[in-house]
Amino acid sequence: MLLVLLLSYAGFTALCLSMPRHHAELLGAKPSTRRRQGLALAGWLLLALSLWAAVAVNGWSFGLVDWFAVLMLSALALVLLLPYRPRLAMALAGLSLLASPVAAWAQC
Amino acid sequence: MKEGFRQAMAWLHTWAGLVFGWLLFAIFFTGTLAYFKDEISHWMQPEIAAHSLDSEASLALAQDYLQQHAAGASRWLIDLPDARDPGLTVRWQQAPGKPGERGRFESRTLDAQTGVEVQGRESMGGEFFYRFHFQLQMPYPWGRWLATLAAMVMFVALISGIITHKKIFKDFFTFRPRKGQRSWLDGHNAVGVLVLPFHLMITYSSLVIFMSMVMPASIVASYGSDVRKFYDEVFPASKTPERADVAAPLTAMAPLLAKASEQWSGGHTARLSVSNPGDASATVVLSRAGDRVVHDFGRAVTFNGFTGQLLSSTPDQPMAMAVGGAFYGLHMGHFAGPLLRWLYFICGLAGTAMISTGLVIWLGKRQLKHVKSAALPFELRLVEVLNIASMAGLVSAVAVFFLANRLLPVSLAGRADWEVNVFFIAWGLSVVHAVLRPGRKAWIEQLTLGAALFIAVPLINALTTPWNLGATLMQRDWALAGFDLTCLATGLFLGWVARKMQRPGDSVSVRKASPSPRSITVEQGAN
Repeated sequence: MLLVLLLSYAGFTALCLSMPRHHAELLGAKPSTRRRQGLALAGWLLLALSLWAAVAVNGWSFGLVDWFAVLMLSALALVLLLPYRPRLAMALAGLSLLASPVAAWAQC
Repeated sequence: MKEGFRQAMAWLHTWAGLVFGWLLFAIFFTGTLAYFKDEISHWMQPEIAAHSLDSEASLALAQDYLQQHAAGASRWLIDLPDARDPGLTVRWQQAPGKPGERGRFESRTLDAQTGVEVQGRESMGGEFFYRFHFQLQMPYPWGRWLATLAAMVMFVALISGIITHKKIFKDFFTFRPRKGQRSWLDGHNAVGVLVLPFHLMITYSSLVIFMSMVMPASIVASYGSDVRKFYDEVFPASKTPERADVAAPLTAMAPLLAKASEQWSGGHTARLSVSNPGDASATVVLSRAGDRVVHDFGRAVTFNGFTGQLLSSTPDQPMAMAVGGAFYGLHMGHFAGPLLRWLYFICGLAGTAMISTGLVIWLGKRQLKHVKSAALPFELRLVEVLNIASMAGLVSAVAVFFLANRLLPVSLAGRADWEVNVFFIAWGLSVVHAVLRPGRKAWIEQLTLGAALFIAVPLINALTTPWNLGATLMQRDWALAGFDLTCLATGLFLGWVARKMQRPGDSVSVRKASPSPRSITVEQGAN
């Protein structure tokens, strides 16, 4: 479940940054089109990976339930963190990305 | 045309949400508490101690007990302890009930490790919240009808809300606090959209669960007026075989657990039902625990009670039932481990928060027009009173319910009923208080009271029972410890909200859209 959380949180952060308004708020500048597309692609890929991580561990029925639950939690956590602690929210996304290979290795 | 449609949907969302909002808040809040039904019951009957599980040993103890105390009974029921519910419950019925009726059962709770009878204090425990969230403390079947109606309105409100919300993707990550009405709307949208899969699942599944009641046409068409026959066919475990009147000792039941588990590729047994124990016609039906996402209605294995031979096993359920079972299973979340259970709980609180923010927005918008005048018009004042009593009042009443469990004398006659009465008295008083005090003051006072009551729960628990927080943490009884800690956290949260409201600001609610919702009450430590 940890790997699912890390991947989906990072994925949502990437998707959030792919929106010009949020990118400007968080990083201080509007993103280029290429950058926006790259972030969106990365976000969707990370979410897909998190689905794979959930299903691989727990099978389809439990995995899907776990995935939805963690997906909702990570999105909620991100949205509530952003206005109060934007830097922390970003740092957590970076940490998630760094920690996910470790979590994946521990899971295998 | 398009705008007209959206406006119609907005109108529907506004008024359906308002009229059923208070009821839906109560249903969502108590339903969320019901995710920790067993843990709440454990806290409210701490005399029934939790042990490490050993189903075989517990079952042998139950069989011994029943053979001594209920040898001639027509039926035994044994509920095995599990990770959440520590008690070993045995029930028996002297004479078989008439068809279609539930016979009278004697019930005892045994210690799962020693087999000694334990007397838990009389209490409905978490069952109260579970029952309330779909029966609403009304006589059958009115409460269920009302709850189902509320579920339909909820579904309508969700769909119309999605249609009304213009920038659902553009505002997906948007929450702007400290901006008054704007923040409330952001918060309402955020908990609505981000947790939407849960909202849709929980609302739609509740309609599926009550389908046989809401739309009985499919059953009536096939079975005519003999609806009883339908249930007999669906739930074979409830049938009783004819007595042979030949004495024959009952087989040892403990080994049957492993045999049943084989049939279910590793599933566990939750309940055993023994018909005609001590008779040659005895049968033992083992029912499976709800350990899968797709709930299996009446999944059971039947054994001969004398020889221990496997008689029959219910076949895999047909597709239509599996779909119904999936909705049932998802709604109840029986299969969820501690971590997922907490996520369920958080989702439930998010739903509760969505409803409460919606109610606050409705009033806030209309209050703006009356900022200058001294008193609100009657209809707005009514909404305000109902908002306060249905939200802050209910949350405080829940704390009162827990406190009553510790403070009412154990020997009081009708004790379980009194706990419930005290809950409703407290809730009723909150209405009176909300009527008597001006809106903002009433909010602050009730929230402060709720905070004090919730913080008092672990303290009173420590003063009146030996199961204080220190002791339960030492014993690693996470359900009891988690309950106390959650009450404490809830108290602190309510206190924080009350303080937020106290700060001077403009007269219209500047209260921040409390992201993590109103209140929390529960347990089970992390895994």
